[in-house]
Amino acid sequence: MYVPCVKLIKNWNRIAMASEDLFGHEYSEDPDSELQINKVVGSRGQAQIEEIAEEEEEHVQNGKTEATKEISTDSVKGTTEPETKLCKLPMSRIRNLMKLDPDLQVASHEAVFAVARSVELFIESLARESYTYTAQAKKKTVQKRDVELAIAAVDCLMFLDGAINF
Amino acid sequence: MVERIEDLNLPNAVISRLIKDALPDGANVSKEGRAAITRSASVFAIFLTSSATALAHQQNHKTITARDILETLTQLDFESFVPSLQQDLEVYRQMVKNKKESKASKKEANADISSGPAVAEVPSE
Repeated sequence: MYVPCVKLIKNWNRIAMASEDLFGHEYSEDPDSELQINKVVGSRGQAQIEEIAEEEEEHVQNGKTEATKEISTDSVKGTTEPETKLCKLPMSRIRNLMKLDPDLQVASHEAVFAVARSVELFIESLARESYTYTAQAKKKTVQKRDVELAIAAVDCLMFLDGAINF
Repeated sequence: MVERIEDLNLPNAVISRLIKDALPDGANVSKEGRAAITRSASVFAIFLTSSATALAHQQNHKTITARDILETLTQLDFESFVPSLQQDLEVYRQMVKNKKESKASKKEANADISSGPAVAEVPSE
């Protein structure tokens, strides 16, 4: 229990400092609250820490305490997590498609992700390729004919020959 | 396993958005054109998988990995996808790692504690 407590104190200090940076407020240097935290951390858990936060709300204005809490949740999540989804296609669908292959035994998560991303890139490049034929015909809307022309013209799309005759 | 054949179709809305993003402004896709691209995408996924399976079998692997997919893409003349795919894989791995870490740290009773090491590790990679 000792080491985590130290970390918690460090963490607490950092959060306090961060809010200080943001607001130029110096409540974290109040020796009383530091002592209080030390004392409480030694014996109690996280729920009690929140109590302290509430106690501090008496000293600090509402908005500032809320900001402190926001910062703490941010650091828990980890700062590198990207806002946008990496892959727009549903991975489960891709997995189902992959499972159609009778020889496939196991596919790693990364492999499914790689296939999903490849399919996205493929869709984009096929769309662009098809659009060149649309543009050649001086049109704005990609028709099925343009896709067929693209497939016939590009070597690496040969495997699609006949696939879109529906 | 797949119960209905529709379960194999890729979602139309997502495909439309991908196509829209790839095309210049003002360009459109007809319904049939989009259907053709959707069908091609499914076929591509199956084709890529079976090629990767064949490659893995050649090397006596049972599990298909991301490396097999990358190699297969190169073999099939889609090497232009490889660089950006490698980048995305890096990000994906990082994301999975972060998820695992945060899960593990939640088990350690106190979620606040874990943020110390987790944040410290991030800049090194």
